[in-house]
Amino acid sequence: MTLRNMAAELNLTVVQDGYDDRTVERVYTSDMLSDVMAHAGEADVLVTIQAHKNTVAVASLSDIAAIIVCNDREIPDDMTAAAAGEGIAIFVTGMNQYQVSGELFTRLR
Amino acid sequence: MNAAVDLHNHSCLSPCGSLENSPSALARIAAERGVSVLALTDHNSTRNCPAFAEACNRVSIIPLFGAEATTTEEVHVLSIFGSLQAALEWGELLYAHLPDIRNDPDLVGDQPVVDANETILEFEDRFLLSAVDLSLDDIARRTIERGGLCIPAHIDRPMNSIHSQLGFVPDTPFSALEVTRVPPGLDTRGLPLVCSSDAHYPDDIARRPFRLKLEPDTSASEHAFSQIAAAIAAHAVTLPM
Repeated sequence: MTLRNMAAELNLTVVQDGYDDRTVERVYTSDMLSDVMAHAGEADVLVTIQAHKNTVAVASLSDIAAIIVCNDREIPDDMTAAAAGEGIAIFVTGMNQYQVSGELFTRLR
Repeated sequence: MNAAVDLHNHSCLSPCGSLENSPSALARIAAERGVSVLALTDHNSTRNCPAFAEACNRVSIIPLFGAEATTTEEVHVLSIFGSLQAALEWGELLYAHLPDIRNDPDLVGDQPVVDANETILEFEDRFLLSAVDLSLDDIARRTIERGGLCIPAHIDRPMNSIHSQLGFVPDTPFSALEVTRVPPGLDTRGLPLVCSSDAHYPDDIARRPFRLKLEPDTSASEHAFSQIAAAIAAHAVTLPM
């Protein structure tokens, strides 16, 4: 499954579309960015509610290709701009972190 | 005049603050312990600042006014102003961004709004420890636009700090970083460092002020604020550690 397939299958809203469509193998779910930095490992996708530009900085440091923001949180413009600069995808969904994690776990098992 | 300045203190309005830590107790005890300039920074609220202004006036201590916001990242950050009015407007902004969750006094504590004589005027019923829906960057930008000092609190603590929530100091134009020890254990990007008491109980009051030189005729809050802001920006403050 690639990032674009994932967005389509989970019906995610695409907020930042300027990214390379790489294969999704690992996912990490966390709302604490210091934890993401310490434990995300080689995750391709971060599932979180942290909708601000520091999430993009952490994703970039951790080589995460896409951020899925849950609970329909609003994405500030500076977050989208930062992600565009780094080539990191941003998706938004009304699902919560548990639901998104479950959907992805089932597909990647 | 070499003055002790303490920029981070809670009153009884903060649910985690002692009911004994009224604005008047804060002012009186800090004055007894030699503090010259004292800021009140309750969690996400400035509603005890009017009482604090009056209480400081009675004991000839210079008050500054602000709040310790909890950002969307759940980072604690101080916004401090020289003007009571600016702080009250800041409090209204935070309140507008604070989720409407009720405080349960049995779980965390009461949130009394008081006057300078320790009379309870009312209880704040919205839970003040929630996160506002403003990011750390938003809070910093808006504080500085309004002429305030923006200082992330206790950046080296294991809870609600830049270190615990982000893991790094972001490229945001903070006025300074508040530390509890030096060095604080993460890259501070060359920003000025300050320390403060973060007093929740009377015993905490004046435990960790920093020092700087104030002009001898300083008595007004705005005059003190501008000198403190300049000294911090020039890294011209002395930490006790």
